[in-house]
Amino acid sequence: MNAAYEFVTGPLAWAAWGIFLLGSAWRLYSMYQLAKKKDASSMAFMDWGFSLRSIVNWLIPFNALGWRKNPAMTVATFVFHICLILTPIFLVGHVMLWDQFFGISYATLPDNVADIMTLVVIGACLYFAGRRIMQPEVRYITTGQDWLALTIVLAPFLTGFLAYHQALNYDLMIILHVVAGEIMLAAIPFTRLSHMVFAAFTRAYMGSEFGGVRHAQDW
Amino acid sequence: MNRTFPLLLAAALILAFAQGALSQQDMKTLAPAAYGKLTRPAAQFNHDQHNEKAKLEECVACHHGGKDGKQDKSASTEGTPCADCHKLKTGGKGTALTKAYHKQCIGCHQAKGKGPVACGQCHKR
Amino acid sequence: MGIAERLIEDVGLRRGVSKLTPEKIEKIVSAVITGETGARLKAYAETCMRCGLCAEACHFALSHPDDPSFTPAGKVHQTMGVLLRTGGKVDPEFIYGMAQLAYTECNLCRRCVHFCPIGVDTAYIISTVRRICHKLGVTPQYIQDTAHSHSATSNQMWVKDDEWTDSLMWQEDEAREEFPGLRIPLDKEGADIYYSVIAPEPKFRTQLIYQAAAILHAAGADWTMPSEPGWDNSDMCMFTGDFEMMGRLKRRHFESAQKLKVKRIVMGECGHAFRSVYDVGNRWLGWRWHPVPVIHAVEFYWELIQEGRIKLAKKFPGPVTIQDPCNIVRGRGLQDKLREVTRFLVEGDIIEMRPNKQHNFCCAAGGGVINCGPPFKNQRVAGNEIKAQQLAATAEKGVKTVITPCHNCHGGLHDIIHHHKLGMELKFLSDIIYECMEKPEA
Ligand code: HEM
Ligand code: HEM
Ligand code: SF4
Ligand code: SF4
Repeated sequence: MNAAYEFVTGPLAWAAWGIFLLGSAWRLYSMYQLAKKKDASSMAFMDWGFSLRSIVNWLIPFNALGWRKNPAMTVATFVFHICLILTPIFLVGHVMLWDQFFGISYATLPDNVADIMTLVVIGACLYFAGRRIMQPEVRYITTGQDWLALTIVLAPFLTGFLAYHQALNYDLMIILHVVAGEIMLAAIPFTRLSHMVFAAFTRAYMGSEFGGVRHAQDW
Repeated sequence: MNRTFPLLLAAALILAFAQGALSQQDMKTLAPAAYGKLTRPAAQFNHDQHNEKAKLEECVACHHGGKDGKQDKSASTEGTPCADCHKLKTGGKGTALTKAYHKQCIGCHQAKGKGPVACGQCHKR
Repeated sequence: MGIAERLIEDVGLRRGVSKLTPEKIEKIVSAVITGETGARLKAYAETCMRCGLCAEACHFALSHPDDPSFTPAGKVHQTMGVLLRTGGKVDPEFIYGMAQLAYTECNLCRRCVHFCPIGVDTAYIISTVRRICHKLGVTPQYIQDTAHSHSATSNQMWVKDDEWTDSLMWQEDEAREEFPGLRIPLDKEGADIYYSVIAPEPKFRTQLIYQAAAILHAAGADWTMPSEPGWDNSDMCMFTGDFEMMGRLKRRHFESAQKLKVKRIVMGECGHAFRSVYDVGNRWLGWRWHPVPVIHAVEFYWELIQEGRIKLAKKFPGPVTIQDPCNIVRGRGLQDKLREVTRFLVEGDIIEMRPNKQHNFCCAAGGGVINCGPPFKNQRVAGNEIKAQQLAATAEKGVKTVITPCHNCHGGLHDIIHHHKLGMELKFLSDIIYECMEKPEA
């Protein structure tokens, strides 16, 4: 157990973070180079003001027409993404590790709050999965990639939850959890989860084109 | 997929609570009064059993001395509870109580390759 | 569900497909994808979360509520999605369906942009699919005929050079009965305004040229029209995917204006032509902006009204409703000016269709869809049940007139109104201005 735990929280964690950070940087860099080479007629219209205008307007729930016409999804996706990002960052268990390994310590979420947020993420994942199965317009366009992304995200939350509650076999669960978390980090640059890296830019371009050229809203 | 997960979750919850109820009453724990209300289950620690198992004879192995944030491994503070020196929050100097426990316990367990290292291995429900 | 189950026979598509081989398809698909696309397509393909939020956007999808193959992401899934997944290893019959879908089931209206949180531009993807179809030689017969006309004559309607000037002189002649001092000044160097139209105007809507001349005359404008090719601002090549030809057409249009040293180009009431000149052609040519400023008729009329240069003898009786053309609303933000102009012209209520302005529903004719001709007409009308409902709702409130400042919208709404027997009439702004303005010389 100790050797396994040490391996997954040591070398494997370094690898996961390395793949995540360097991989994301590389993907952004190569995408930018490609855009400069191939999309000059779009790049020419990139504009900071209109990019931000678009991003801000889409970050307000129910502001964009698409949000208003899909209220359930709007609530689900906002709550999902907020919990998805905040929970692992401010989780006691995680901050303890930062402190233990690097002496970095910062504010944490109370355990019961984090626990609820974890359940919210799990619930949202189940809702997304349900849509993919039940809603024809979502089922029609769903590919293996989408199930993969959803599973990769669900895994660390489910195993984290089970580990926290020491359900089933704790020693196994905590290792599974750490591995699941690491898989998620490493998968971000190379799966659908790369939308974390690219969405700001696709949104920014749309905002720039609509704002700067078409003098119209894109939300 | 959406049918198996709720089942698994329910099973997990039942197991989690059952385990808490079965915990041994005589288990000794580390829960100094300084913490007030605990946010995690108290870390399990049976002093004599631990030292026997770990073949520890020198008290100073854990009960070290020190001042102003500098540890002194030679000065024994045998008999002094950790919380007497390590405060819940440090004023910049010294090591806070929680960190002191984690550093000392987990650090040693890692070095020896034996003993609990993950949260739930000490903070048992 | 999917395009393969609703194929429609079209001579152009059939002939094109019959000449294809899998090798040729693969070669051209990869030539376009690696040669002409870059980070945009790649990012869209990768980050589209397949969330289906855009399904609610598209009039085709809303008009076929039980068929997800009409949703924006569903359409991409069946076309570009397959090409990217297979690397272009598809058979010729697949190309038939892909072309039919890309040319006749997406108006490139960009309503779905308001629905996609990621910012995927479905219209861009479908345009790229059309580009591939064009390079494969698989295009619907009718629209390809207009593209051929563009190549041969620089106008969309096979209008011969002498027919063009003849039509202008004819309209000038006619108009001088009503406005004795009126001219349609040809090739006037240094004029303030270069007025350009789409080729269907001289071909079969000549009264629009008459009316424009009357309005420009009454407003005391310093204007001109060119006698040489370049006068047609329309662009079906943009829609077939023949971007080389599109570039030449736009260049010819701008250069014709530059030759006459005019201050700016005023374009008639057409949406797609405005898109080609204002937003698309210039980019293909590598021009960030336009060598000669371009303005759409709606904005031009708005200016004339602001300056007090249009005087009305009477107002047009309402209530009316307004069809917002995608290409000047989502394409240029003219929705408020359009309403100010309408307010100025109309007595009585403006009863809005909902949703309206930049969230309007497309007419289902734009993007070259109506130009694909009769084989696809029924599918097009059926694909805009939602617009029929919008129109019917205003008709119930007494609306008889739909103000429609776009040629494509005219065609699309005409078919819908006729099919659903809504009994509404369509008006260009220029129809109403001409009808209501003071005609002191008359
Ligand atoms: C380097 C990788 C990671 C390590 C070493 C790690 C470690 C831990 C530890 C030690 C715990 C505490 C378990 C307990 O209380 O017994 C935990 C819990 C948890 N972790 Fe992670 N984790 C990692 C990655 C992630 C990631 C990427 C996510 C999600 C995005 C995540 C989400 C969670 C959640 C949701 C919990 C449980 C919270 C609760 O139910 O209260 N972890 N993790
Ligand atoms: C930080 C910027 C991010 C943005 C702007 C963003 C945006 C989006 C958007 C627009 C969607 C489309 C569907 C929906 O609205 O739910 C989506 C879905 C999703 N996102 Fe994110 N996201 C971000 C970060 C992340 C991260 C860090 C993860 C996990 C690693 C993640 C996981 C997911 C998953 C699994 C879905 C799929 C939901 C489904 O299956 O329908 N996102 N995201
Ligand atoms: S027709 Fe308009 S809304 Fe529908 S997919 Fe095409 S661009 Fe999007
Ligand atoms: S809304 Fe955007 S991300 Fe979602 S399926 Fe449609 S195109 Fe893809």
